[in-house]
Amino acid sequence: MSEEKKPEERKKRRTATEAASKIGPMVKASIGGTVQAREEGKPLAYSFICCCYDEIIRAMDVVPIWTENYAGVCGAKRDAQRFLERAESENFSRSLCTYALCGLGFDAWREELGEMPPEAPWGGQARPDMMLGSGQMLCDPRNKWYQAAQHYMPDVPIYDVGLPWPPYEDDYDYREVQDYYVKYIVRELKGLVKFLEKHTGKKMDWERLSGLVDLTDKTWNLIWEAYELRRAVPTPMGTGDAMNTMVPMVFMMGTQECYDYYKDLYDELKLKIANKEGVIPDEKYRLIWGGGLPSWFALSDFNYFNSKGAVFPVETTYRMIEATYNFDMDLSKISDPLEHIAWRWVKFWTYWHDKARKRPGSHPDVERLIKYIEDYKIDGIVMHEAFSCRSWHVGLIWQLNLLKKVYRDIPSLILESDIVDISSYNEVDTRAKIDAFIDTLEAVKR
Amino acid sequence: MSQYFAGVDIGSTMTKVVIMNQSVLASVIGPTGPEHRKLANRVMEEALGKAKLPFEDITYVVATGYGRINVPFADKQITEISCHARGVAYLLPEARTVIDIGGQDSKGIKLKDGRAVDFVMNDKCAAGTGRFLEVAAEELGVKLEDMGKLSLEAKKAVSVSNTCTVFATHEVVTKLSKGAALPDIIAGLHEAIATRVYGMLRRLKIEREVALTGGGAKNIGLVRAMEAKLGFAVLVPPEPLLTGAIGAALLGKDIVKEAEEKGTTLARAERRLQEATLFT
Repeated sequence: MSEEKKPEERKKRRTATEAASKIGPMVKASIGGTVQAREEGKPLAYSFICCCYDEIIRAMDVVPIWTENYAGVCGAKRDAQRFLERAESENFSRSLCTYALCGLGFDAWREELGEMPPEAPWGGQARPDMMLGSGQMLCDPRNKWYQAAQHYMPDVPIYDVGLPWPPYEDDYDYREVQDYYVKYIVRELKGLVKFLEKHTGKKMDWERLSGLVDLTDKTWNLIWEAYELRRAVPTPMGTGDAMNTMVPMVFMMGTQECYDYYKDLYDELKLKIANKEGVIPDEKYRLIWGGGLPSWFALSDFNYFNSKGAVFPVETTYRMIEATYNFDMDLSKISDPLEHIAWRWVKFWTYWHDKARKRPGSHPDVERLIKYIEDYKIDGIVMHEAFSCRSWHVGLIWQLNLLKKVYRDIPSLILESDIVDISSYNEVDTRAKIDAFIDTLEAVKR
Repeated sequence: MSQYFAGVDIGSTMTKVVIMNQSVLASVIGPTGPEHRKLANRVMEEALGKAKLPFEDITYVVATGYGRINVPFADKQITEISCHARGVAYLLPEARTVIDIGGQDSKGIKLKDGRAVDFVMNDKCAAGTGRFLEVAAEELGVKLEDMGKLSLEAKKAVSVSNTCTVFATHEVVTKLSKGAALPDIIAGLHEAIATRVYGMLRRLKIEREVALTGGGAKNIGLVRAMEAKLGFAVLVPPEPLLTGAIGAALLGKDIVKEAEEKGTTLARAERRLQEATLFT
């Protein structure tokens, strides 16, 4: 029976930084913490990353259950198949987001049993008291996943936060419309606060929220400064590690623990640079992870790149922050915490618009790639088309082609697999592609 | 003293060996199977016999292709992308883009100064590879090598799904049973592959001239279908299957030349033909 399949045992991936090696235990503790919170009767919410509500739920003492994270953990432990198959047997298509499928398979199973599925990775995903969805451009699972999960948990209420941002057009300035977006988002966030107050029986502590908002700004700036240190040659940290160090950024934002983590990372990277200690001693090729979520079950591919002399000093994936002092407005002047959050959101998503308008035919996503290619002295670009993640998948090739058109030809590699579904992955073929890519990098360098 | 270079290209379907000095002295093409792959030395022996050379006289051996790690007597393994690029640059120096349609994958390669500077590869799906035609030929009861010529007799290609080999074969059988002419169906299959490959190639900026290599280039119907998609004629080497092996041998030659110029010593495998032990 597929449901009784044991996950494949995997060796722990070798990381370059101490900070990255701390993440596994942190995630495990976080997941275990939600199970414990359930037992202690604390309010729990299914939550999505990058939804503006980090500080709000922290201020309300709501414990987030990061459902994407749990699916990623199942994938990384190579134990997602049984949950995907379970979701398929519930008639969900395998071509849907496999984070969602994994989560829905898990929920269906947990709800049927009335307890965690057998040998659930890291103790399993706790039952929530509420679910906080969000509407954001292409990522429709953020709306639909929890609605589907409600089939198994009809008693668990949902609040959907609409989080739009001004789309890029080269013939208008987003500042003409940004106020409308901010007003809309503030209204949505106010609705969320009311929802949380209703379901927790607790009033929002606005002063506390303001403190957490300030802490988040500080944390954003610190992360940006720490990540910029990776420009160094040799780079002290690669994308393989960044796929770990992103955890506090997206799952712990608005907490002192998150800030402290990046302070430690910053200090560690500084020390490595001073000691000229790179991810590998002899960097031959510097690459950018130019888009796409990784295959969580195949992070060791980054080590394979390293074995060929290639490092990834930078990535666009999970770099969900900018230095707030680089925005074209002084965020510190926005004292209302909800407005502050809304402005930060709009400024983040429009950050590259001005640059794109200055280069005919360009686009903000492409400008971001160009800036990183130049700042981090990049030789080649690697992207991952995860078949089930449409929000990333759609547009990757277009971005790559546009980059080559408006900027320059640059060796590129498109990896094809998935975030969670290991049946889409072939290690031999993937590594053959990496070998060929290394050959092309060498040929271009000559 | 003359130097000799061997290129061994173990593809998923065919194994190719070339021995060169200034030009190709001998070549062997045979089917790859588990035993053949395991016994790459036998193919090499055959090529050495044709070239009338003892193995000790081979200066450098480069293995490439899907099974390149299974050639224990190779001095170096190099990816098929690099070998195809080198082979095409030698055989068709005017080519700037290579399309290789192999047994189980298809590739597009951009060339600059005789080297691969960008590539795309389809190894996820049999549609768009030789395997698609192989399966269809079996289903239609036609010899694979006859598919090309037969398709040229087509009056109007029958549209065939290009998304899945398994379902496409069911589709062609259904269409055959409904009275579609065999040449029209085969032409439709070629169009389906060409469409698939062209879609992949568009990720590269296709630059003329375009060379078509691999088993697919031996199928005149597929060549014509590819040309129709591109809108211009493609170049095909005299023996498209040998492109990678020739490139491997030439890269071996380049490596030896560079080492001689730099005065460095090259690590070489033992000159003893032995079986790979991977599968034992």
